[in-house]
Amino acid sequence: MNSVSSPVTIFTGAIAVYFLFITFPRQLTSPRAALAILGLGLAFFGIGLTDGHFRKIVTTPDNVPIVGMLFVFGYFTWFAMRKAVANDIRMEKGEPTVEKLETDEKVLVFPYLIFIEFVIALVYAVGLVLWSIFLKAPLEEPANPTVSPNPSKAPWYFLGLQEMLVYFDPWIAGVLLPTLIILGLCAIPYLDRDPSTSGFYSFKGRKAVISVYLFGFWILWILLIIVGTFLRGPNWNFFGPFEVWDVHKVVPLVNVNLSDLIFIKGLSRGLPKQWFIREAPGILLVLFYLAVPPAILAKTVFKEAYKKLGAARYGFLVMLLLLMCALPIKMYLRWAFNLKYLVAIPEFFFNI
Amino acid sequence: MPEPEKKPRLDLGKFITESQLYKSMFRHGYSTSDRDRALSVMTNVFFHLHPVKVRKSGARFGFTWCAGGLSFFVFLTLVVSGILLMFYYRPTVEYAYNDIVALREHVPFGIMRELHRWGAHAMIITVWLHMFRVFMTGSYKPPREFNWVIGVILLVLTMLLSFTGYLLPWDQLAMWAITVGSNMARATPFLGHEGPGAALLSIGDIPLVHSGSDVRFALLGGRFVGAGALLRFYILHCVAIPTAAVVLMSVHFWRIRKDGGISGPL
Amino acid sequence: MAEESQMDRRSFLSWFGMAWLAFAAATTGALSIVLRALFPNVVFEPPTSFKAGLPADYEIGTVDERWKEKYGVWMIRTPEGIYALATICTHLGCTPNWLAAENKFKCPCHGSGFYKTGINFEGPAPRPLERYRIALAEDGQILVDKSRKFQQEKGEWNNPESFLNL
Repeated sequence: MNSVSSPVTIFTGAIAVYFLFITFPRQLTSPRAALAILGLGLAFFGIGLTDGHFRKIVTTPDNVPIVGMLFVFGYFTWFAMRKAVANDIRMEKGEPTVEKLETDEKVLVFPYLIFIEFVIALVYAVGLVLWSIFLKAPLEEPANPTVSPNPSKAPWYFLGLQEMLVYFDPWIAGVLLPTLIILGLCAIPYLDRDPSTSGFYSFKGRKAVISVYLFGFWILWILLIIVGTFLRGPNWNFFGPFEVWDVHKVVPLVNVNLSDLIFIKGLSRGLPKQWFIREAPGILLVLFYLAVPPAILAKTVFKEAYKKLGAARYGFLVMLLLLMCALPIKMYLRWAFNLKYLVAIPEFFFNI
Repeated sequence: MPEPEKKPRLDLGKFITESQLYKSMFRHGYSTSDRDRALSVMTNVFFHLHPVKVRKSGARFGFTWCAGGLSFFVFLTLVVSGILLMFYYRPTVEYAYNDIVALREHVPFGIMRELHRWGAHAMIITVWLHMFRVFMTGSYKPPREFNWVIGVILLVLTMLLSFTGYLLPWDQLAMWAITVGSNMARATPFLGHEGPGAALLSIGDIPLVHSGSDVRFALLGGRFVGAGALLRFYILHCVAIPTAAVVLMSVHFWRIRKDGGISGPL
Repeated sequence: MAEESQMDRRSFLSWFGMAWLAFAAATTGALSIVLRALFPNVVFEPPTSFKAGLPADYEIGTVDERWKEKYGVWMIRTPEGIYALATICTHLGCTPNWLAAENKFKCPCHGSGFYKTGINFEGPAPRPLERYRIALAEDGQILVDKSRKFQQEKGEWNNPESFLNL
């Protein structure tokens, strides 16, 4: 388990599972398949808990909510897709969706809705008190500005961002990408406006939209949080789930820039003195990535979308999608070529 | 001889609901008729967040997962536990850590900090879950698009609330999480002193954006995470961000109704 | 007459424009006051320069950590002289550790590694550690001034103030 786990295998495996899930939602959301997946998950945890290190990481008080969140979101992803698939099948048969059957009927908020809210609030309150009794809130040594704990981690919900910092400079991972995530989320209703799929669970009619969302949420957010929390140890080295966090683990991390690859390895000469000559290939590559695919996609795969959205909205959409894909692309470049930066201009703090 | 008047059995429920005190509070009978049920929503400022009637499909737990309502409830519990914590906490480098330790040992039923911390984690999860549900049902589509935007801002505020609260125990975990988190602000383009473009903003040799004048300094009230940062994060955590969140929540709830209630198929 | 007392359309618009302009100016003014309030004139932070003892206190070839805790400075004595390295990782500002066995600085937060010179060679740090101004005071002690820093990628390590020749 330790030997096969690395960022590459975990990430690639997760992407494979993701594609399986969106390609065969009908088969994979059947109760039998769901129970099998749940069983696998529980078995992994059950067996894992017999390992001292795994138990220690997973039961760290601050990490417990993440484990809970995994099961909560796993369940509700399955639940939503299950309902979506059921509605898809009904619509194929020409029947109204489950929600449509009841949409004209009105019920009094008191007591029906209030009752649900009350019960949920009660369940939550009891759960929270029990949680608080059994798990102490962590408190470490008093703050000391001169001693960084090893590893130093952000709160768990920001660990996706901290994991991105391995692959991108702070101004991209810490400022640009979060801004884009927020902007992109805000932009969703202005890019996907088709009201015919509003207000009920469905998948078939919204396949592209839901797939992008699930990819962003599960692969680029939750998975990075898991890697950042459970699998990053001292010195931010990668550790397998059952590997003891050894402070002295030595991992050669000699990363090179694109300019090194081209001028030193490719052309066998020194780096040019001027930064704009040195970084020209990288800058051109980045500009190419942001300019050419939108044009090609508008003529091919996204032809319909281009017609429906118009140039401005389409441009915004493609830009968001390209920048979203930039993260996995950069990750794979790092793993394949030890590539550090495509464009590296430390003179201006500008590295991509 | 006339039959002695039968003394009515004391009906406690009736006694309460017909008392002047009860009537002054609720202005309608106990909810046994549809009219009273409607009135109990309309005449109650808290229930009044809801309309009197909703689509049956929207009142189902299987549809909403009650994630939005739960997020609000979690927020309320955090307000209560947070206020209780404020009674015992002083946001200074000298006292903060000791106050947190004392909180655990000197206060009866010392789980208030746990309730607050785990509640904060729970709120992040419920807010994400609410967004997930709204997305999966396509409920952000017109006419609800702007309410989705407000929701995204509320999501960001929730995470900022949690982040600012993370510093307050003033232990190693807190300090370094905030150091790492706030150092990203150094790299903000143009506004952070290590961001791309910041070097361009200068008059002659004097840089306008340096470690004493960039966004990180404004956030921390100093060049590193110290006394200024603790006080600023405390104020942000207890006053500024909750106020913004409450305002936006009011708009969010109001707009659910104005945009046509809990979404349903056309 | 009524017609004369009424403003014509153009002058109404210009008044309206003026009003908006005044409003915008007032708002900008108020906001800039708010913004200014975020930046105090005086910050109570530790002094930025300190005396680091005599050059003879430092052993050639070692990284001296005696000022790390108090001032955030490593003193490195080479056969040629001494330089003062900042203990702030150029990635996200954590404090790296000096690993004498591996002969490198290693940052615990994201794994950046630096040679003894301060040059970055592994991990995400985008540039070398910074050096502080270093000089000899009149009493023969070393004076480290943290308010002035030298960055290698800008070629500032050639500056004589970044290195104390002995």
